[in-house]
Amino acid sequence: MSLVFDLVLCLMILGTAAASLLMRSALGGIVFFIAFGNLLGIAWLSLGAVNVALAEIAIGAGVTGILLILAHARLSAMGDPVECEPTSPWMRAAVAVICGGLIVLLSVAVLSISPTDRMGAQIATLMPALGIENPVTGVLLAFRAYDTLLETFVLLGALVAVWAIAPPRGWPQRPASLAIATPVSLTVIGTFSRVLLPASLVMAAYLVWTGSDLPGGAFQGGTVLAGGILVAALGGAIALPRADDMRLRSVLVLGPAMFLGIGLGGIALGRFLSYPVGLEKALIVAIEYALALSIGATLALLVAGKPVPPAAVQEGGD
Amino acid sequence: MTGLFYAAAMALLVTVALALVRAWKGPGTIDRIMAAQLVGTGVIGVALTLGAARGDATMLDAALVATLLAALAVAAFVASRAPRGARKDGEDRS
Repeated sequence: MSLVFDLVLCLMILGTAAASLLMRSALGGIVFFIAFGNLLGIAWLSLGAVNVALAEIAIGAGVTGILLILAHARLSAMGDPVECEPTSPWMRAAVAVICGGLIVLLSVAVLSISPTDRMGAQIATLMPALGIENPVTGVLLAFRAYDTLLETFVLLGALVAVWAIAPPRGWPQRPASLAIATPVSLTVIGTFSRVLLPASLVMAAYLVWTGSDLPGGAFQGGTVLAGGILVAALGGAIALPRADDMRLRSVLVLGPAMFLGIGLGGIALGRFLSYPVGLEKALIVAIEYALALSIGATLALLVAGKPVPPAAVQEGGD
Repeated sequence: MTGLFYAAAMALLVTVALALVRAWKGPGTIDRIMAAQLVGTGVIGVALTLGAARGDATMLDAALVATLLAALAVAAFVASRAPRGARKDGEDRS
């Protein structure tokens, strides 16, 4: 039964991937992309990788979906037909070669992992020293903390890049309001978002807390937080902050700064990014909560887009 | 009991496939978005039944996350379809 389930799931994933590429209408392609993310989440669940499934469902199906829909809407508002132009055969061939090469490289990388790989067992023997039980969190925040630290700064850098394309008069104003223009829809989504935002705050806090022992963590929690913020902004329950708001900026740098600070503190104990004995779990959970706040705010602002002049807010985003 | 949960997950996966057919055929954009919502709902069901079949309670968290974020796409879509010029009504509330 499990095999049949997995086979049907694989076919559906390939089907949705093909549909999202082949669909003539851009919005139809986005719909299939969201469905693809959801099904991929189920595939990770079926493989027993709940950590990845959480991230895939939250980022792939949730936040990327809304990003694409809003991007489509803004392009349409600017008069772009958002249609796929006929592609030249050379372009098709080049894309086929690049994608084919990537698939080969990925396959080689995956197949090079020997089935008798001892990495899982090695990590399992190291985990008790950290006082947490989720090996993924252990790898992200302790054994490979350097990668995670750099990733958090990359996310911050992405937001800086988005802000850098703000028009001169737009800086440092708010991003274009996401609030729905139709009064009836605004009331519906607004009321709904006032229920959803607290629920997503609780879920985000829960995911970070449970992430030390069970699947979850800062990225998953942060994405759920971003989802709640975005629905609240769409429903007009909250306004997006100005780019020079010091409270906003402190939230944005809180996670990476705290991670870096604790990492630098480790130098005093002998090594960058090492935790003092006995305080590992407390520090890891503290870093994760700070990171979740920063990631949530950063993702929400990445979706909201660049700051615009106040006058343009009247037409922007529709 | 495990077999029963697998059968339920399988059946829900088939309903997801049917929803995908609706998303492909359309014909309207609203039909496609509603089909995407149906896919989302079906996927939550699959996650729940798969969690029951495997006896893994953490899969319920994945279902919860999917539930919380399912509304995002439809809210964004409604926002993107709002008529122009009506923006000022919404502006005072944001």
